[in-house]
Amino acid sequence: MLGRKISFSVVLSLAIVSPALVRAQYQQPTSEELKMTSDPKAPGAAAVYLDVEEVADDPVHYQSFYARIKVLGEKGKELATVEVPYVKGYNKIHDIKARTIHADGTVIPLVGKPEDLLVVKNGDTQVGKMVFTLPSVEVGSILEYKYQLDYDDHHFSSPMWEIQRPYPVLKAHYQFRPFSTFQPKGASGAIPTSSYLIDSKGRRVNSLIWWAKLPDGVKVQTDAGGHYTVDVTDIPATPDEEWMPPIDSVLYRVLFYYKSASSAQDFWTGEAKDWSKDVDRFAEQSSAIHQAVNGLIAPTDSEMVKAQKLYTAVEALDNTDYSRRKSESEMKQLKLKEARHAEDTWKQKSGDSEDIAMLYLAMARAAGLKAYAMKVVSRSRGVFDVSYMDMDQLNDTVILLAIDGKGVMVDPGEKMAPFGTMNWRHSDAGGLRQSDTGPGYDKTPMQPYTANVTIRSGDITLDDHGGMTGNIRIVMTGQEALRWRQAALRSDETEVKKQFNEELAAIVPQGVEAHVDHFIGLGGDPDASLMAVVTTHGALGTATSKRLLLPGFFFEARGHAPFVGQEKRLEPVDMHYGDRVSDEFTYHLPAGMAVEGAPTDTSIPWTGHAVCITKTVSTPGRVVIARSLARAFTEAKPNDYEALRGFYQKVAAADQQELVLHDAAPAAKGN
Amino acid sequence: MTRQTWVWRRAVPLAVVAAGCLIAGGAPSAFARDKAMPAPDWAVAAAKTPTPTTVGDAAAVVLFDEYLITIDEQNHAVERERIAVRILKPQGRSYSHCSIAYDTDEKLNYFRSWTFTPKGKQFQAMDSDFTDQGAYSAPVLQFTERIRTVKPPASDPGAVVACETEQHLRPYMNEEEWEIQAPIPIVDEALELALPAGGHYADSWRKYAAVKPVETEASHLRWEIKAMPALDLENIDYTPAWAALAARMSVKWGDLAVKGTDNQWRALGLWQKQLEEHRADPTAEITAKALELTAGAPDFYTKLSRITDYVQKNIRYFVVERGIGGWQAHWAADIYRNQYGDCKDKATLLIAMLQAVGIRAHYLHVDSRRGVIDPAEPSLVGNHMITAIELPDGENDPRLVARVKAASSKTMLIFDPTDEETPVGLTRAALQGAWGNLENGADSQVLEMPVLPPETAGLSRTGNFTLTADGTLSGDVAEVFRGDDATNERWFIKDNDAKEIHQDLETGLGADFSSLTFKGFEFHDTGDLAKPLDLDLHLSDANYARPAGSLLLLRPRVMGSHVRAVNDVMDGKPRAYAIEIGHPGKWRDSFDIAVPPGYVVDETPDPEDVDVDFASYKSAVSVKGNLLHYEREYVVRQVEIPPAKAADFRRLENAILTDEKGAAVLKKQ
Repeated sequence: MLGRKISFSVVLSLAIVSPALVRAQYQQPTSEELKMTSDPKAPGAAAVYLDVEEVADDPVHYQSFYARIKVLGEKGKELATVEVPYVKGYNKIHDIKARTIHADGTVIPLVGKPEDLLVVKNGDTQVGKMVFTLPSVEVGSILEYKYQLDYDDHHFSSPMWEIQRPYPVLKAHYQFRPFSTFQPKGASGAIPTSSYLIDSKGRRVNSLIWWAKLPDGVKVQTDAGGHYTVDVTDIPATPDEEWMPPIDSVLYRVLFYYKSASSAQDFWTGEAKDWSKDVDRFAEQSSAIHQAVNGLIAPTDSEMVKAQKLYTAVEALDNTDYSRRKSESEMKQLKLKEARHAEDTWKQKSGDSEDIAMLYLAMARAAGLKAYAMKVVSRSRGVFDVSYMDMDQLNDTVILLAIDGKGVMVDPGEKMAPFGTMNWRHSDAGGLRQSDTGPGYDKTPMQPYTANVTIRSGDITLDDHGGMTGNIRIVMTGQEALRWRQAALRSDETEVKKQFNEELAAIVPQGVEAHVDHFIGLGGDPDASLMAVVTTHGALGTATSKRLLLPGFFFEARGHAPFVGQEKRLEPVDMHYGDRVSDEFTYHLPAGMAVEGAPTDTSIPWTGHAVCITKTVSTPGRVVIARSLARAFTEAKPNDYEALRGFYQKVAAADQQELVLHDAAPAAKGN
Repeated sequence: MTRQTWVWRRAVPLAVVAAGCLIAGGAPSAFARDKAMPAPDWAVAAAKTPTPTTVGDAAAVVLFDEYLITIDEQNHAVERERIAVRILKPQGRSYSHCSIAYDTDEKLNYFRSWTFTPKGKQFQAMDSDFTDQGAYSAPVLQFTERIRTVKPPASDPGAVVACETEQHLRPYMNEEEWEIQAPIPIVDEALELALPAGGHYADSWRKYAAVKPVETEASHLRWEIKAMPALDLENIDYTPAWAALAARMSVKWGDLAVKGTDNQWRALGLWQKQLEEHRADPTAEITAKALELTAGAPDFYTKLSRITDYVQKNIRYFVVERGIGGWQAHWAADIYRNQYGDCKDKATLLIAMLQAVGIRAHYLHVDSRRGVIDPAEPSLVGNHMITAIELPDGENDPRLVARVKAASSKTMLIFDPTDEETPVGLTRAALQGAWGNLENGADSQVLEMPVLPPETAGLSRTGNFTLTADGTLSGDVAEVFRGDDATNERWFIKDNDAKEIHQDLETGLGADFSSLTFKGFEFHDTGDLAKPLDLDLHLSDANYARPAGSLLLLRPRVMGSHVRAVNDVMDGKPRAYAIEIGHPGKWRDSFDIAVPPGYVVDETPDPEDVDVDFASYKSAVSVKGNLLHYEREYVVRQVEIPPAKAADFRRLENAILTDEKGAAVLKKQ
């Protein structure tokens, strides 16, 4: 992988020398490698990396990459095409060498010239890629290639070693030699340099730090030659399981970066202070902010009412994350400037989610409320890790209010989020927060499952051939309501109906159609529930000569329970947020038909985590079938997987129960 | 107006030009960098065009779209486009992102854009609003072509975005395709053609009545169209491809501007021939290889299949297309040496190798979207290159099914060397019933590819299962795939590793088994294309039979579905477009389920038997001892049916749906 070039500047010149470099050379394959047809540790893999070597050497401004790959199946041939990205003006790719070695030992070298193609260009920034493909590739071939990436004197590299790849890696070696200032303590023969690194705040950077997620027993090693190295063997392919946490949080990786801190504690303390200062500067309570606040609240309002009124006011602004961010040229033509203070956002009546969250902070403070900012990771993108010293982990800002001695967390950057409701991405999310005692780490609270409720009520009339007509009311509060309301901001109601219908089509029984007739509350008061009024018709049941057979649970007939098919679990489960989904369907039976069999009343608990309850009530001419699944957990460790799967297996079994109607006429006659 | 490249590989769609077909063609380099220019009069006038009441639910509307193609004495063309789009809904913004493609052999003179807000304010797109991206389809299919896109300032609902571009077209191209229909309505559109003195043109139209041009001045013609409705297929299922239904016009100049449809196809074939001249000449190495492969071949089929097999299996699909490389193949010698290439290259090497052993073959320019190439509209539209192989007189090997008679009276065998998994003699479903442009010198013509008989494809599935009283079904299934179905399976095996295959099969089975335990699978005969492909499955489902009181309910049709969810047709709504029904084939299922001891079969679903001319469906359930036996046969004889047959289609689908949902009732004795 290419290293990340940090945006710092290097001051003074570097003393250039030519140390002895260890660059990967072609290797003679062993007879075992030539004969290899599968990897016993990864049966069925279509390819394996026999060797990977990544070397970064800052004193001589180059990185090199070397790979040797055994193709074990047709799909593995895709690795024969290699794309090497680079940033024009910063990097140069050269010395691309490649060859294919057939299973019989025949060597076919790459003779064609790699193509230099554009990836993207905007303004002065241009990313290109060198593309080449190895010749004459067959199943059984070994693909071997290497290339170098050079960069100029003014760049320090910060390698990002992506140790886990889409295919298994049998052996890999990673090596980084930074400039002498950053070499491991005790390194001998360090190349003297008078250059040093400063960060964007003008501070001299004194540490090279790395964050690593590595297999048990593997560590970043240092040596007397000034190198940082990692050697690994038998790395499995990138995991791919349903409901996984963000992929970056589970992959084996090593990330190097330069910081002015020697420990995570120092780093976050420093960063938190700087961030908090920036927040306070942006959220300055200027006279314009005070004036605006005074126009929005009354002195007699309670703290809670003030907080809500201000929330409503900032939510009403144009949030450009849901409309359109103004381009640089548009801002210029409108004579607008990037918001530097909260009052800029207020005056422009527009800003992105961050601007609006900070505006709310400023206004709340101007209203005399105790308000603090909290910068959190977005859980859709990552998991906050204190040991990884990088503020870029934290994506979004939420606001904590202290009202009447109680903490209230609000998410003003989330358009259409009710006061006090967080987007799930911001709940149970780690980050930095301000407080009376100064900034520090914290985690937002997890949402109770009762905050996210979907109730689906159906009223269905059956005919004696299994046909049906009816309507369904789907009432959503919490995350589902927020999701659809935000969708309606990015398109119109017609488009949202289409999307909603597509989701319905995937869960209604086969042969049944369901379409949204209208929404109630889609663009309205976010505090109110959102309702979708759905009409439905089609062939729900199957008629036999004596009976009518129908799925017992309307929305579960297709069997959607997760995890049922996956016996073993490698990675944790992350289901984003807890919720409760309750269905109550009333079936009006065809004349003369009665219930012969129906879903039994059940209660399937997974103690402390979830419960599924079903109940059937039959009266003449009518059956009401109810099902409710409450899931109080969002995450589960692989150790809990057996219990989790067991729960869903039982739910899946219960969901398959049927409603059987039979002709009641003979019984009525008393035969 | 549209950039066409021969790049099709299997079902990989090619979307080279982003943001649809509102702006076309193009190459950059010189354009005003942050130089403020007032909006031109045409844009100001276009922005004043009222939104017609007929736009309905459209997200945006094209108010004005005008092309001017100026041809010089050397038949080189410069194309200018002026387009104005009004955004009507938030999701309509994407229609205002004008884009233009350009390559190494094109030059973009300029690309400008202005926005008019509903309040009357004007904006101009500046340098930072433009982005260039490399055209990209897949790692194995890359281009030097780039796409420049503007993200116009102030592009909000109600605003009008106007764009103007001018570019030199590729110097070797003498045709442009005017795409006169879009997914949104067009109020006013025009094409102007400025020919050199004495120059002539030819035009042809599809899905729209020919419009007569007005000669605004000598050799300067103008075609105008008003109020073109949108072609919006969003809620219509199983239609032909959008491009196969859209109206368009082809305009030709230079050597392609000949009169008469057949002559135009011939001219296009000759153009192609000149482009590929000597590219497919066999070298000594190629000849030696072809002779080595065919040595001792006892018959024509063997001789042919050894060469087709070689090109299919040994020439890997990979190319970076550079400029004319989108149209012109590499030299056969280079392709043979590198052992890789794109579809044109694979066709070229095949033609060369066949020529070396005395078999004539020709390029056949096709499109993977059936219906896009229209015999009534000669043009270079198409996205794939295959071959037409001349069969010797009297060659009647029954394995060579995909044959068609050319106007020259030669019998041509349609063969796609890029399709690595379809044996010579058969053709993929996507090409069946489609048209292609046969390049055969003076005998060049448009050629309809055959629809193969049902016997050539399908799946036979046999299953033996045991049901226990707790509802668990366990058993084994043997599947035998033929023709296109085998091709699909072989591609699936090729594109996935063992874990992915397992997961994919498991997911597919999950549609029929809610509590599936997928115990394993084995494929047989994957490599020999001439043989059917066998797949054995081993599975169980702990909740297959559903309890209802003292009853056990189960679906005798254990697995697999032929239902097509064509909602508009099933709802009885009027259908304007053909219904795609897959490909000809025969699919048979035969399942035996051993009923648990203590239970008897109380009821079984009724049999189904429907035969419409394009398909038939027959099923039956029987009981013998403790065995519940299910059997069905589904036969498809066409690839698509006209809208007039919607009622027959509905009848067929209702029968299939009823049968597939049918349940047997077991009663405890």
